[in-house]
Amino acid sequence: MQVGLQHYLVISALLFATGLLGVIMRRNLLVMYMSLELMLNAANLALVSFSRYNNNLDGQVLVFFIITVAAAEVAVGLALIVALFRKRQSAHVEDLTSMKL
Amino acid sequence: MNASLMSLEISVLALGMLVLLADLIMPPERRKFLGYAAIAALTTLLIASFSGYGSCSLAGTAFNGMFVNDALSLFFKRFFIIAAILVLFIAIEFAERLAVGISEYYSLVIFALAGMLFAASANNFAMLFVAIELITITFYVLVSFQRNRLASLEAGVKYLILGALSSSFMIYGIALIWGTTGKLNFNELAAVAPQYTGEKIFLLGILLVVVGLGFKIAAFPFQIWAPDVYQGAPTPTTAFLAVGSKAAGFVLLLRVLFVALPVVAAHWVNLLIVISAITILYGNLCAIPQRNIKRLMGYSSIAHAGYLLLGVAAIAGNVHDATAGGAAILYYLAGYLFTVMASFTVIALVVKTSQTEDISVLAGLHQRSPLLAATLTIAMVSLAGIPPLAGFFGKFLLLKSVIALGVVNQGYYCLVFTALAGVVISLYYYFGVVRAIYFSKDAADLSPIAISGSARLCIWLSLAGIFWLGIFPDTILNLASEAAKVLSS
Repeated sequence: MQVGLQHYLVISALLFATGLLGVIMRRNLLVMYMSLELMLNAANLALVSFSRYNNNLDGQVLVFFIITVAAAEVAVGLALIVALFRKRQSAHVEDLTSMKL
Repeated sequence: MNASLMSLEISVLALGMLVLLADLIMPPERRKFLGYAAIAALTTLLIASFSGYGSCSLAGTAFNGMFVNDALSLFFKRFFIIAAILVLFIAIEFAERLAVGISEYYSLVIFALAGMLFAASANNFAMLFVAIELITITFYVLVSFQRNRLASLEAGVKYLILGALSSSFMIYGIALIWGTTGKLNFNELAAVAPQYTGEKIFLLGILLVVVGLGFKIAAFPFQIWAPDVYQGAPTPTTAFLAVGSKAAGFVLLLRVLFVALPVVAAHWVNLLIVISAITILYGNLCAIPQRNIKRLMGYSSIAHAGYLLLGVAAIAGNVHDATAGGAAILYYLAGYLFTVMASFTVIALVVKTSQTEDISVLAGLHQRSPLLAATLTIAMVSLAGIPPLAGFFGKFLLLKSVIALGVVNQGYYCLVFTALAGVVISLYYYFGVVRAIYFSKDAADLSPIAISGSARLCIWLSLAGIFWLGIFPDTILNLASEAAKVLSS
């Protein structure tokens, strides 16, 4: 079987859906954050495979930007989650309830 | 390649780093001075952008068309610099309430400003993504800056999760758009877009990008984060979030919809009408029962995003002439900037002494400080849209641009009706605030409020802006119409 663009795109869509499900279903902040990274990587995979099959390198350059931005986002995000954990001794979204109507 | 077009952005980034470095040699008790120095530097840049000297106000493109300088970007850059100046004034007033790192706070505000300036000039999806991430990641830190307050941290984490979610939607959308068309540049995309309008993957990609931008402007159904984050964030951050981040979302939305994809935008008129109507109703209806003043402003900012979407729907109805709708959006944003800054300065001052942010702390404000009471009243009246203030004329222009299209599409009449209903509902809660100031009998604390110099200056500048825009709208309106011409295709 010849592996073509569609296969990569299906995998990328599956990754994206897995990540989205993780964000929606899981209640632990760290797991939710991991799922978010999965969604970003789904976009990376789509970009790289489009790049390969369309013979256009713009997408691969964009992937480098995404990786860099994701690294910055993780640095800030993990710091924030750790700060919250120190304050609350918990990393569950159910405990984020100090602001309600 | 013409990198000198970016002189404004480069100067702002250099300023942010200078503020960080100056923190090392500055003794702690004199750090407030850094804020004033940053304000002075930003004011110089603002004057430079108006003077016509220097390359920042030249029209042109740089970096293979990734970065564009035109009337629209220049209008938004001035807007963002003014917003950052006023936010820095509030931050100086707020300095004692941030446990650590006021200089870092100043420099983060400046870095967020740099992101907004890049967003104003973005003409390429890669640029759009990086600019919006620069803004969002900076705001994660700004929102959770009061690490000793649980509410601030919670707001930060909520913004982080939902912000990262919207970024991943947006980047996936960009991947799909680029994959089908092979173009990232907005102008090149506009040239090839008509042949792809039937492709599902292409349309899905655009939808995902619009979802990401809808999150930034807090439009329905991506508004859930706004009330919590507005409530928990430190007050200067909330003000910057309400004005800067929202306006950055709007300039990118306008460019994506009307520079890159006018063909698609014209097909999505009904979608835009429905989103605008629901956003207006949601924001206004949910604001009614609110008792926390910052949360109330959060819901009101959702409603204002809805009003601004009226203009977007109006441009989508006639993509060949964006002048009326575009100018209305830009004018409305300018009025909203001064109004929001005025109200958040007052809120920052009033809640300083009391531990709660309940509306009841406003009781007796007219005895504690007539200036603050009058400012907040004027701000609320302007937000509600009562003449002769800035908010009235802005709403008038937006409604006018929409009514003009009613003959083509009946949906616009329904939208006008919804917007007017929204205005009537909003009168109730805005005047609830005014009632709490003047007519509430249960004032617990009648001690006068000391207003620092920076807060006083911010208040007078914002009031001047509100009245100037309301009474002499011509200057801004000319600039706005000039800027909106960019969006006509």
